[in-house]
Amino acid sequence: MTTSDTTEARTAGRAGEAAGTEPGSPRPRPVPVPDETSAPYWAAAARHELVIARCARCRMFTHPPDLTCPHCGSTDPGFTFEPVSGRGVVRSWTVVHQSFLPGFEVPFVLVDVELAEQPELRLIGRLLDGPGAGPRLGDPVTVAFEDVAADVAVPAFRLAVAA
Amino acid sequence: MSGRMRSSNQVAIVGFAHSQVQRHAPRSLGALAVETGRRAVEDAGLRTADIDGFVTAALFPTSGAHAVEDGTSIVSAQWMAAHLGGADARYTANFDGVGALTGAVALAVNAVASGAADHVLMHRALHNPRGGRYHDNPMRTAPGPLQWTAPQGFFGPLQMIALTYQEYAQRYGATRESLAQVLVEARRNGSRIPWSYWYGRPLSAEEYLAAPFICDPICRYDCDIPVDGVATFVLTSAERAADLPHRPVYVAGYAGGLPPRRRVQAHWPLDDLQEAGGLLVRRLWERSGLAGPAEVDLPQVYDGFSPFVYLWLEALGYCQPGEAHRFVAAGGIDSGRPDALPALTSGGALGNGRMHGVPQMVECYLQLSGRAGDRQRGTPTTAVACHSSPHYGGAVAYTNTPF
Ligand SMILES: [Zn+2]
Repeated sequence: MTTSDTTEARTAGRAGEAAGTEPGSPRPRPVPVPDETSAPYWAAAARHELVIARCARCRMFTHPPDLTCPHCGSTDPGFTFEPVSGRGVVRSWTVVHQSFLPGFEVPFVLVDVELAEQPELRLIGRLLDGPGAGPRLGDPVTVAFEDVAADVAVPAFRLAVAA
Repeated sequence: MSGRMRSSNQVAIVGFAHSQVQRHAPRSLGALAVETGRRAVEDAGLRTADIDGFVTAALFPTSGAHAVEDGTSIVSAQWMAAHLGGADARYTANFDGVGALTGAVALAVNAVASGAADHVLMHRALHNPRGGRYHDNPMRTAPGPLQWTAPQGFFGPLQMIALTYQEYAQRYGATRESLAQVLVEARRNGSRIPWSYWYGRPLSAEEYLAAPFICDPICRYDCDIPVDGVATFVLTSAERAADLPHRPVYVAGYAGGLPPRRRVQAHWPLDDLQEAGGLLVRRLWERSGLAGPAEVDLPQVYDGFSPFVYLWLEALGYCQPGEAHRFVAAGGIDSGRPDALPALTSGGALGNGRMHGVPQMVECYLQLSGRAGDRQRGTPTTAVACHSSPHYGGAVAYTNTPF
């Protein structure tokens, strides 16, 4: 955990320490392993920027990037990661009471978000407003980041005030 | 290519066997599969020397960190061929995909219809590993497809179906009380099946409603329980079937909903399932020669997660999109009512254990061959077995009266 942790992550860290885990955490959250298809995404996330793969041929976004473009079929899509607004709407959510992965304090809320840039461009992340946030379908959200290790941040969301 | 399959009603199920469904079998999965395979061959009035084709879908449907070992956690067609004894394994094939049984039936039908094999033994073997929770995974790093989900806290099939069902529930106003009726129906029917894990153990709506959420709005009863179990079937040509002891049940056609839209792993948005369901069922009617849902006496819907019951009832055309939860709440699939749709009479995965579509196929076979014993529901002539989700799975149409 770093000094730029979110409030909830700090709370989770304290809860973990109270349960006997040490700072530096023997049960950390899984960290992403960037590869040649994803390195720019994770580098941007570490700077708290959301970027999404975009096809150089048809300009459509795809998440996650594929070996061919699922929109135009190009076998040489030349995906580049371009900044997006980080705004979207809640398409679904769940309150997780039992995690099958290490490092997550329960309960927490996961949201399935459709990003503003393109219909059906979906991203799943934690909603950092706490387990009682009670989102509804169509609620606006904006991207937030959880710092989970040195130079590693994971996109998440917060409820936004409707414009 | 469009229109009805040339193989429609040319290939039949002629024998069947089912192991006990247990949390942990006292013997290896492979031993259970061989024993159940030999029983199916005998049931069909054949000898193992008559079997020249082996087909399965070997998928081990867990997200946990369990090793996959042939004969122990899965049983491949090749493993079965090597261990059944006495067979002439001219044809072996494994369907590799989530929609396991539709794919395996398709392989078996195609093998017999093409002449690649005369008698195919098809099996499905499911394993519940000892030690650790079924889906728990202690991963510290998330490479490959997992990088898009696990670091975000999104992992495992319960979260997957919770997102799908929450969207359904919020969009259409579905309540937990309706889902309780799915569980009551599945467990009541499963409690009457001697090999079921839940034999003699129905579930009340009150018990369902008292269960805490694991991933709100999903509780543990909404998910089938992991088990050890094997089912085996023998398929052959309609001509050969005529000389065998049991009434043949012919495969009228099969269809799947592939390919799915590009998503992060285990992200199953409601719209994807609904769109694929519509496509799949149009394909099913066209390929099988059935005109539509009114021609199906026993539409056996898949229920590995309880909300799938709604999605299949809607895909098959028994309910408008978003209406199945009201249909179920009003007793629409209550098999205790003479006017209800017999959709979960198999007991399903929720009433038998995690047999991955086996209960639906077994029910189609037993009812159409007149072998369901005290569970026999009159003299149905057509049935459909649905497997998995509409967008990864499929459906198979059966008849005992070729048309
Ligand atoms: Zn493109």
